[in-house]
Amino acid sequence: MSIDLSPDSAAHYTKTGDCPKIGRRTLIAGVGAAAAAVVATPWIREWFARPAPVFLARGQRYDGPLEQTIADGLIATGVVPDSLRGRKVLLKPNLVEPSRLSPHVTTHPAMIVAAAEVFRRWGAEVVVGEAPGHLRDTELALVESGLAEGLDSADLDFRDLNYEESVWTKNLGRTSKLSGFYFPRSVAEADLVVSMPKLKTHHWVGMTASLKNMYGVLPGIQYGWPKNVLHHAGIPETVCDINASLAKTIAIVDGILCMEGDGPIMGTPKPLGLIAVGANLTAVDATCARVIGLEPGRVSYLKLADRRLGPVQDRLIVERGEAWRELATPFQLLDKPHLAQLRA
Amino acid sequence: MARVVPLFRVSPHFHPQNRPARLRRFDTRPKLVGEPIWGTGAREMASWIDTFVADLTDDAHWSYEPGGLAAPEPTAIAALALCAHGQLDAAARAGRRLGELQAADGSVGILLDRPTPCWPTGWAVLAWTALEAGSRDTAHRDHVESAVEWILSQHGRTFPTLSDMGHNPRLDGWPWVDGTHPWIEPTAINVLALKATGRARHPRCREAVEMLVDRLLPDGGCNYGNTTVLGQVLRPHVEPTGLAMLALAGEPDAAGRIERSLGYLEHAAAKTPAAVSLAYGVMGLAAHGRRPAAADRWLAAAARQTRPYQRSPLRKSLLALAAAKRCPLIAEIARSERGETCRSI
Repeated sequence: MSIDLSPDSAAHYTKTGDCPKIGRRTLIAGVGAAAAAVVATPWIREWFARPAPVFLARGQRYDGPLEQTIADGLIATGVVPDSLRGRKVLLKPNLVEPSRLSPHVTTHPAMIVAAAEVFRRWGAEVVVGEAPGHLRDTELALVESGLAEGLDSADLDFRDLNYEESVWTKNLGRTSKLSGFYFPRSVAEADLVVSMPKLKTHHWVGMTASLKNMYGVLPGIQYGWPKNVLHHAGIPETVCDINASLAKTIAIVDGILCMEGDGPIMGTPKPLGLIAVGANLTAVDATCARVIGLEPGRVSYLKLADRRLGPVQDRLIVERGEAWRELATPFQLLDKPHLAQLRA
Repeated sequence: MARVVPLFRVSPHFHPQNRPARLRRFDTRPKLVGEPIWGTGAREMASWIDTFVADLTDDAHWSYEPGGLAAPEPTAIAALALCAHGQLDAAARAGRRLGELQAADGSVGILLDRPTPCWPTGWAVLAWTALEAGSRDTAHRDHVESAVEWILSQHGRTFPTLSDMGHNPRLDGWPWVDGTHPWIEPTAINVLALKATGRARHPRCREAVEMLVDRLLPDGGCNYGNTTVLGQVLRPHVEPTGLAMLALAGEPDAAGRIERSLGYLEHAAAKTPAAVSLAYGVMGLAAHGRRPAAADRWLAAAARQTRPYQRSPLRKSLLALAAAKRCPLIAEIARSERGETCRSI
C-alpha cells in the first residue's frame, strides 16, 4: 500500500460527502446493499476496513538525525516521495501558549525544520502555518517556542493562520452542529497538511496528538481565542469534523519530550524519545494513546473517529518500526473520574 | 494482537549516539532573565515613528498581513495611531472606511466580506470617538450610536456554575463570537468603547468591569480569560493583561488585584520579546500612570525587527500607538473619567 499524492489517488478512508454522483440503478442497488449493511454493519465495516500503518521510532533526540527518522517513517507508512514533487505541503505544529521555560508544551523547532528538509528534498514547496489557540500575538508564539530561530535557520516561510484569508468548506464529518469550517487559504490550498503535534495528556479529553492539533488550523479571527465555538459545539465532534473536512493529511508526532499530568498547558515534562509517523491520523493517535497507557476506544474523539476516519483497533493498525508494546510508558493523568476511565 | 511487520530495515537512527548528528541547535533556554531584551534605540525613535506613520497614511496598511485585505480591527487601530500622531486626514479616511463596513444593525464584522463575528465593533467606536476628539468632526455620531446600541444588545453565554473553573461564570461581558462565553479581550475592548462614549456608569460596563477583575489571576495578570481550571492556576500573558489594564484604568482596587496585575506587567513587559504584547503592555501601564522609563527604547528595538511576519501593518499601528505622547485610548478614558464625554449615558 502506498500513499500517492497525485490528484487522482484515493484517500485511505472515504470521507463523508466525498461520494461520486450515482445513477438510478446504482441507487436502487445501493438501497438494497444499505439494507443488508444495516443488519451486518460492524462485520461489513471491518471487512472493508483497510489496515493503516503507523511508524514508531524510539531513542530519538532533538539534536539527533531527525531528518533520517522522519524520512524513514514517511516511506515506511507508504508515502511516495516522487508524488510530492511540486506539491504544496503545510507543516502544522502545536504552538499553544509557548514558553521558553516550558519546552514540553509545544512542538520542538528541530522537528519542524527536519520535516521541512525531508519534504523539500522530495521536491515539495513547504511552509509552516499555525493559528495559536490562546494567544493573539503570533510573533510571541514564534519567539517563545524557538520556531522563529528555526524558520530563520532553514529559510522557511510562516503563515499566521489566525489572520489569513479563509475559505468556507462544508463539514464533511457532520457529527457536530457546525455546517462547515473556515479554513485559511494556506490550508485549503495545501496538497498535504502535516499535523506535527506534541504528544501530551489533556485534562478534558485525556490526550492530544495529531487529530486535536488540527484545531489550530482554524483562524482565531473567526473562532475566537480560545476557539470557544468549537468547545460549545463539542470537542470530540469538532475534532472529528475538522479532520474529516481537511484534504490529505499526515502525522509526524513529536513524542521526544512529552507532557503528562495537567496537559495540554500546565503539565509536567515527560521524556519519551518517541517519533510517530502515519498517514492515518486516527491510527497514529490510537497508537500514541496505547503508548501512554490509555485505551484509545475510551478517548471520546477517537471513539467517534473509529472507522469514520480510520482504525482504532490494534489489529487494524500495522506496526512499522518499533512495536508500541515495547515503548508503553503510562503517563500520569489528573486524578479525575472522567480521566481515570480512560486507562487501558 | 496487532499484525507486526518486521522492521523494514534497522536504521542506525534508533541509536542516535552511534551516528554523527547533523546538529541544528535551538536555544530553548530562558534568555529573558535580568536585562530587558530590547536594545537601546532611543535615537531612532523619531525616525521609525515617522516611517511607520507615513506607511499608515496609505490604506494598504490597514490589514493584518502585508498586502492583505483591509480589515476593521487594523483599520481602527491605524486610525487611533494616526490620530495620536496628528495625521487627521488619513485618520478620517480610516474612519470613513469603518463607516462603510458598518452593518445596518450597527455591528462591524471581522472582514469586508465577513459580517460575523462582530467583535471589532468596539474598536470602530474607539476610532470614531478619537476622530471626534481630535478634529471636532461629528460625522460619525450616528455610527457610534448604532454601534454602541449593538454592543449593548450583545451578551456572553453565562452559566450558573462551572465547578471546575475558578472564575465566576455568571458575570456577563462580551464574547468573541455570538453564543459563546465572555472573554477578557472582547470585554476589555467594549469597556473601553463604552467609557469613551460616556457610558462608564452604564450597568453593562459596571458588570463587565467586575468580570474583568474577576478574571485576573490571583498573583496578577491574566490570560485569555480563565483563572484556574481543575484547581490549577493558569499562566498570565502580557497582551491580554495590557488590554485589561487599559480597560480598568481609574477603577477602584480595594482587593489589590489590579495593582498585582500592574506589578506583573512591570515585570513582564520589559522581557516581552514580541511587539504586539509589548505595545499593549506599555499602554496598559501608561493608563495607570506607570509607563516604563525605558518603554521608548523597547518600542524602537521592536520596530527594527524585519522578519516577514514582523512587517504586519497591525503591528506597526500598535507600536506607533504605544509610542505616542498622547495615546487616544488613554486620553479617551481620562476624558470620560472627568465627565468630558461625547455623549451622556
